[in-house]
Amino acid sequence: MLPVQLIVALVAGIAILALLFAGARSLSAHTVGRVVLLVGLLGLPLLLSAGNFSFGVHESSTTHFCLSCHEMQRHGKSLFADNRQALAAVHYQNRLVDRETICYSCHKDYALFGDVTAKLNGLRHVWAHYVAGVPEKIALYKPYPNSNCLHCHDDSRRFVDGVAHRPVLSALYAGTTSCLSCHRTVHDMAKVDAGELWQAR
Amino acid sequence: MNMTDSSDKLTRKIRRAAVVGGLGLVVQLAAAFHWTPVTFILSAVVGAPLVMLGGVLFLAAVWRNMRDKGAV
Repeated sequence: MLPVQLIVALVAGIAILALLFAGARSLSAHTVGRVVLLVGLLGLPLLLSAGNFSFGVHESSTTHFCLSCHEMQRHGKSLFADNRQALAAVHYQNRLVDRETICYSCHKDYALFGDVTAKLNGLRHVWAHYVAGVPEKIALYKPYPNSNCLHCHDDSRRFVDGVAHRPVLSALYAGTTSCLSCHRTVHDMAKVDAGELWQAR
Repeated sequence: MNMTDSSDKLTRKIRRAAVVGGLGLVVQLAAAFHWTPVTFILSAVVGAPLVMLGGVLFLAAVWRNMRDKGAV
């Protein structure tokens, strides 16, 4: 969907700059005019750019943004895999996380610089897509941290009381046992390749 | 340098700043019509710096004009 408000604001900003261009001579001759020039040529464009950048950062966290590169489209399809054990499919299909930001919700770290790291990794993805080439096997930059799972599951009753979880809870919290050592299927590519997909209504 | 020359020079520089800043906004507007990873980067790496450059050109023009008039 087009960011209509942002587009209108940018068009208005360009129109104001055009007016200032035309009236530069008369505006620069008066004190009030100089203030108008200062706001119009410096304040307004910077404000618009900040708003635009903020919108872009928000937009870059959305699922459709991640899947706009063809390399990720199989991963996108795996959200619909007909497999009740596959983590990505379970979380997406049961709305355990916001569907609009599911890639970002699970793949960004939740520490102080989690967002920054995720965005920098995004730049690496773009570099790989356009310049360096995409590796044959798409893999994480580091082992998937339990803290990303625990960000949501941490003290949830279903997690803490889970019969399989209880014996290993402290190891899971300490990160010495990976959640993925039991939950082995994350993106079920076999189901994707077989076309066994769940159809949302 | 007489007052008219000085005023013309300032006007020209302000217009140049407006054009550069406007170009930056146009780049950002083009990106806003179709957000993809590459348009986002173009918007942030080309559009925003052009806007900043426009601002700097404007401030530099005002500063030089004030200096020429002995106001600073």
